[in-house]
Amino acid sequence: MKSILLVKDLHVDLGEFKIEDITFTVDRGDYVCVIGPTGSGKTILIETIAGLYKPKRGSIILDGEDITDLPPEKRNIGIVYQDYALFPHMTVFDNIAFGLKKRISKKSEIIREVKTIAQKLGIEHILHRRPTTLSGGEQQRVALARALVVRPKLLLMDEPFSALDFKTRSRLRKLVRDVVSEYNTTVIHVTHDFEDVWSLANKVMVMYRGRILQYDTVEEVFNRPCSDFVADFIDINVMEGVVTCSNDKTIVRIGDLEIMSKDKVYEGSRVKVFIRPERVLILKYRPDKKFENILEGFVENIENRGSMIYVWARVNNILMKCAFTPNILNIVDFRIGDKVYLCFRSDDVRLFVFS
Amino acid sequence: MQIGFKHLCIMIAIVIALILFSSFLCLIVLPSPKEIIESLRSSEMMFSLKLTLISALISTILVMIVGTPAAYALARFSFPGKKIIMTILDLPIAMPEVVLGLALLLLFGKTPLGTFLKYLGIRVVFTKIGVVVAEFFTALPYAMRTLYSTFETISARYELVARSLGYGAFETFMKITLPMARSGIIAALVIAFARSVGTFGTVLILAGGTYMVTETLPVTLYLNMSYGNLGMAITSGLLLLGVSFITIYMVERLGGRT
Ligand SMILES: Nc1ncnc2c1ncn2[C@@H]1O[C@H](COP(=O)(O)OP(=O)(O)OP(=O)(O)O)[C@@H](O)[C@H]1O
Ligand SMILES: [Mg+2]
Repeated sequence: MKSILLVKDLHVDLGEFKIEDITFTVDRGDYVCVIGPTGSGKTILIETIAGLYKPKRGSIILDGEDITDLPPEKRNIGIVYQDYALFPHMTVFDNIAFGLKKRISKKSEIIREVKTIAQKLGIEHILHRRPTTLSGGEQQRVALARALVVRPKLLLMDEPFSALDFKTRSRLRKLVRDVVSEYNTTVIHVTHDFEDVWSLANKVMVMYRGRILQYDTVEEVFNRPCSDFVADFIDINVMEGVVTCSNDKTIVRIGDLEIMSKDKVYEGSRVKVFIRPERVLILKYRPDKKFENILEGFVENIENRGSMIYVWARVNNILMKCAFTPNILNIVDFRIGDKVYLCFRSDDVRLFVFS
Repeated sequence: MQIGFKHLCIMIAIVIALILFSSFLCLIVLPSPKEIIESLRSSEMMFSLKLTLISALISTILVMIVGTPAAYALARFSFPGKKIIMTILDLPIAMPEVVLGLALLLLFGKTPLGTFLKYLGIRVVFTKIGVVVAEFFTALPYAMRTLYSTFETISARYELVARSLGYGAFETFMKITLPMARSGIIAALVIAFARSVGTFGTVLILAGGTYMVTETLPVTLYLNMSYGNLGMAITSGLLLLGVSFITIYMVERLGGRT
């Protein structure tokens, strides 16, 4: 059986907030990232899967078993929180061994299992310590070990890295990727950080106001966002235009700009144009190399988000977003008002017809 | 101006503390030691002390047994009527003790409940059981307030994590929630005991404050005051003061750690 989790027509009513109409399947070994604005119901969704909330209707099937009405302890689903939720009155060892004690009675076996996972996550040296004395990164590794050591059928993580600094975050990401693939764990990971999506997920779910807007592979969602809202949320340039020429190259007129695309669309169609910001090269001089699209504009805003620098440039009446790694700032210095050239290839221009 | 106002506030705090402290000092310094030792050895004082400690102990245990799950329910779950229940349980804190005592007296006296208990051979009114019942209802709201806020500060996430690891609701409560609530539970325990020991009005009305029968320390103080027996009154006052000091000390010693 390929799919391990089957959520069908799930509705949860919490009075002030509902999640509605949730239907999706997760395949064995999938790594699903759930994204969406704050308050969109991501935490409630995964806590419902874990068994905290009783659905008003719908069903949750895990590994062929209907778990909709099972209490959390009968589901075999692991959960890792942003604030780690380590038991403060137990040592790190006892935290990790907590779930094992329910499954294994032989003490030597428990010790062996704990040591094995502790070694994989690089926390063998802190097993005797209390959680409150640990750094955030260490605490999150303990929380991960505690959840994984019992080999859950499904691992749920709610913003597991968001309380960590940038470096620790990327180190933990690697660790999670390795351990999860070694244990062949299926994961649903709620996050606000697209870096998690890029480096961990094979599928993305976009949630908004208690509903799923789009759920598909990472490529599909980022290449073909199903709505303006999704496109805007996943940080993609969205423009509207009309196709003026559709021979071997498609030309779209957006205001008084012309953009070339490789997508085939009939002449005269009204289209949405999507371009990922990191596909746009921003230069201060007109490049020698032939790009199919070179637009002239002025820098309007610069934002340093740590892993990426975002530059907004105004081209005529259109605001375009470009993203690049901070390294480039060592060579070029962008300031607001600078004249710049935005260069991108026709392959990277996605067109969607709308009526 | 700022400095002047600051100093004025500090002065008020110091003066009021001094007045209060002087009154405690009077209790310790004014009576003669001989009088106190005599009072301590009187059979009335021995009886009163014993009854106070035993009844307070029983009432504290009952308060914790009832209050812990009830406070947990109020802190963790939402259910119809929760607001009203919380208000009712809080009411005795704002209510004069004598009124609470009177209400309990009527409940256990004339109603079907009272008759039923009498039929079972349990007499509450004007008995030692009445002492425990009076202390229980006086102390319960205070303990529950502490327990409620303790449970409320413990995130339900810990419980969900424990349950996702295979532990049932009751096991999770015993293994995770209770140990995490340790300091709050100790604080509630001490408060319940202190309230039980010091209850006067409720005990007086419900249990009657009868000489050497339902006589707890506060009642001893009151009875001897009205006979003009100052030595006995001061001695029971000192014993009660001692309990208060030990209480505060215990809260700071045991309750401070998490
Ligand atoms: N137990 C509850 N009862 C009622 N409403 C709740 C409950 N828990 C959360 N909510 C509300 O439901 C909405 C969605 O909450 P949720 O925590 O799922 O959002 P989220 O997508 O995880 O947001 P964030 O990204 O900020 O974590 C919020 O408006 C929240 O206030
Ligand atoms: Mg959340």
